[in-house]
Amino acid sequence: MKTITVTVNGVAYEETVPERMLLVDFLREQLVLTGTHVGCTYEGVCGACTIHLDGEAVKSCLMLAVQADGHSITTIEGLAADELTPLQQAFIDNHGLQCGFCTAGVLMNMSEFLEKNPNPSDDDIRHGLIGNLCRCTGYVHIVKAVRAAAAVGQ
Amino acid sequence: MNENLTKDSTKWFGARMPRKEDRRLVTGKGKYIADFVLPGMLHAVFVRSEVAHARIRGIDTSEAMAMPGVVAVYTGESIKSQMKSMTQKVLIPNLPAQYPEYWALAAGTVKYHGEPVALVVARDKYVAVDAAEAVAVDYEELPVVLDAEAALKPGATVIHDDATSNEIFAMTFTGGGTVEEQNENDAEVEKIFREADVVVSERFKVHRTGVTPLEPRGVLCDWSEADGLTAWITTQRPHIDRLALIDILDIPPEKVRVVTPRDMGGAFGIKAPFYRENVVIAHAARELGRPVRWIESRYECQMNVGQERDQVNYMEVAANKDGELLAVRNRGIANVGVGLVGVYWGFVMPFLGAIELPNAYTWRKGDVKLRCAVTNKTSNTPSRAFGNYPTRFALERAIDMAARKIGMEPAEVRRKNIIPELPYTSVTNDFYDSGDFIKVWDNLMAQIDLAEFRKEQVAARKEGRYLGIGFSCGVELSGVASELMVPMENQPGYGSATVRVEPRGALLIFCGDAPSGQGHETTTAQAAASVLGIDPGDVVTTTGDTGTTPFGSGSIGARYGAVGVSAVAKACEQIKAKMVRVLAHDMEIKAETKDFEFKNGEIVYLHDSTKRKAFKDVAERIIMSPINLPEGEDGGLETTAFFESDKPMICFNADCCILEVKPETGEWKIKRWVTSEDVGNVINPMVVDGQMHGAIVHGLSNAIFEEYVYDEQGQQLSADFEHYKIATAADVPDFEITYASTPCPHTPLGTRGIGEGRPASVSGALTNALCDALEPFGVEITELPIRPSRLWKKVQEAKVG
Repeated sequence: MKTITVTVNGVAYEETVPERMLLVDFLREQLVLTGTHVGCTYEGVCGACTIHLDGEAVKSCLMLAVQADGHSITTIEGLAADELTPLQQAFIDNHGLQCGFCTAGVLMNMSEFLEKNPNPSDDDIRHGLIGNLCRCTGYVHIVKAVRAAAAVGQ
Repeated sequence: MNENLTKDSTKWFGARMPRKEDRRLVTGKGKYIADFVLPGMLHAVFVRSEVAHARIRGIDTSEAMAMPGVVAVYTGESIKSQMKSMTQKVLIPNLPAQYPEYWALAAGTVKYHGEPVALVVARDKYVAVDAAEAVAVDYEELPVVLDAEAALKPGATVIHDDATSNEIFAMTFTGGGTVEEQNENDAEVEKIFREADVVVSERFKVHRTGVTPLEPRGVLCDWSEADGLTAWITTQRPHIDRLALIDILDIPPEKVRVVTPRDMGGAFGIKAPFYRENVVIAHAARELGRPVRWIESRYECQMNVGQERDQVNYMEVAANKDGELLAVRNRGIANVGVGLVGVYWGFVMPFLGAIELPNAYTWRKGDVKLRCAVTNKTSNTPSRAFGNYPTRFALERAIDMAARKIGMEPAEVRRKNIIPELPYTSVTNDFYDSGDFIKVWDNLMAQIDLAEFRKEQVAARKEGRYLGIGFSCGVELSGVASELMVPMENQPGYGSATVRVEPRGALLIFCGDAPSGQGHETTTAQAAASVLGIDPGDVVTTTGDTGTTPFGSGSIGARYGAVGVSAVAKACEQIKAKMVRVLAHDMEIKAETKDFEFKNGEIVYLHDSTKRKAFKDVAERIIMSPINLPEGEDGGLETTAFFESDKPMICFNADCCILEVKPETGEWKIKRWVTSEDVGNVINPMVVDGQMHGAIVHGLSNAIFEEYVYDEQGQQLSADFEHYKIATAADVPDFEITYASTPCPHTPLGTRGIGEGRPASVSGALTNALCDALEPFGVEITELPIRPSRLWKKVQEAKVG
């Protein structure tokens, strides 16, 4: 067991965790932030567990909780303050989600993506999404939603 | 609220209304099975067979049991005396087949790689995983049967002890009910083939592929002496799961409640069967008196569910030189895996695929036969396009091959043979209720300029560029009427809904089906709000809880838009009629429902608009002040309605794919994908578009990327997303979805159920386009998956040939 200090969605935590605990399990089970999902074999393929670590989109199944010691994390629960972000609103307005299981990861990835690429082409968006698998939407409305968010400045 | 919306309640139906589900889902507040936690909850992990076929000599659980934190270990032998087998009547179709008896955990033998052998229950998830690895199973390996055609040969190892052969199911779908009638029919078909100008005869093979929702399965069971079992299961059919748990675990019916979590991370058919894991987890919770939860890993999911399609079709098509399609003959051989899966037994999908094989064409005669073989692979489970994927591929390819032999445009051959008028009964006795196939087809052709494309194609070829165009179409289920559902799955086909108006005027709707992303909360609200003239924001829908919802067979076969919404509409009409009776009585007028308009939260007398009352006030009056009611009227405002269609209903689509192939590498790029759809009246266009996009990508991903692979020992090699590749956003194009709908005359709102069968036609348009592009090389694709490497090889073979 090891004690770590980590800031998640602006709240500072000091938590004791087993060394082998994955970061995604720490977030889901210890902090009960269940908006971050697990869809693959903890190999970073599906992208449903994407979070921001110090502002960068990373897959939380590929890290141990102890590696987050001293870092700042944002999860889907912390993406919006009071109002939804334009990206979240664009996903609602454009039907960018169906079952919603991949959505948290898609939003966390795309919110970082749009910061780096404020005026992306559809092709840019599609390539930006390769780390997120979606089985419901066929990606069309996801691309449309990201484009719409870009148009209003995320 | 979005700008597309109007405040006029008469426009709710058909509006692009943002989904009620979405706010919670984009903020991480959804609640999926893995998010359910109960006090004292234990974690369960299955030990699964490491081999494809073996006798279990023994299982040593002592090391696992000795690990700190381990609470219990169950094996097949330990549970067998505590419950009945999985082979219970509620899970068996009314079709003649060899139904093997099996148990919730493998007992005696294991029959596929990944079969559940034991269950470990521990206080901690990580400890449960460690302990599962410490369970030692001693296997005596048996011969493995993996190929369907080999499995059906005389002398093949028979996999199930209680079966006489590996042929779990076989059927002739044409000619009539007796062998004499069938033989006579077959002889007539043979005569057509002998005399036809053109015959195509080919072996078409579709690989093992299917669906993989991003959320695997999960079960959480809680047991108390007072209330019995509460089971949260990722299931599309909670009411059926409840019956199966009652029967297998012998629990009094009043003591079992099954709940599908409101948020389910996709299903696409894999959450429709009744699974062994449900039984074992429920048993453990009952034994231990503690909540027990199992969350399926991705490995387990890939190895146990979502595998389908695996079928060889020896297909023949006869046509005359004018392009008339005369007869179709098919000998299907389906590899249904081990067949140990409740409701479906591996073979119900190819059964339906054979019925729906004739598709949208007017065959004079057909001879369709199917044999289903059990093998040492995972049981086939339903996968969106249920049974149709392999036969649609074969038929749509065969039609193009026939067109090429005749020397006619494939599009023209299709147009000539598409069923001109509905209703229609196919050569397999499949009933198509309504719609206008010609309108859908002509709308598709209006989106493209075929003559211009052919000119471009010729010009491009001169430059060494290979353009191709391909077509296909699909008649698909819109719900499953009892007439088909009772024989096929031993379940009713009706939709059901309870509509409760509460005293403040909000509408609470309860549906027994269990959605997984299709947006039922939204479409239900739109439909109900439009009937009752209230705001969809005032409608709340509860799904999938057997404790509160009326019986329904589950979210399957595109049921909701067909029969689910229809039950909601029917119930709302009954509510409406009662409100009118009371209101007219109060207003002291003689009036019927049609004399009132329900609009914008008011009920208005059409002949004198000063006579009006707020919907919520009438609701409160009937529920809270049931005095001075019309004679014979009771208080309260709630009703349950069931909706049944007499006959099966359908939806229809046609696809066109235009692409460019590089013969030197086999790579291609889809330039346009255009569709034309008959979806009936649309409740929410955004939702319908989304269903189409997802379904088409599903069809493409199956055709190009996805493949469940086994080695020669039956070891599964595709148990993760690294080895089972799914299309990413960068792999697929945008789509031009167009509509040429005909309202369904058999549903109250004219709606059809859509989206389930939709992937089936996709591989036809894709492969027809590829073959059209490579026509100068004479390439004909007869096997899926089709990938650049395989296409390149076919070009090389064609060059040599």
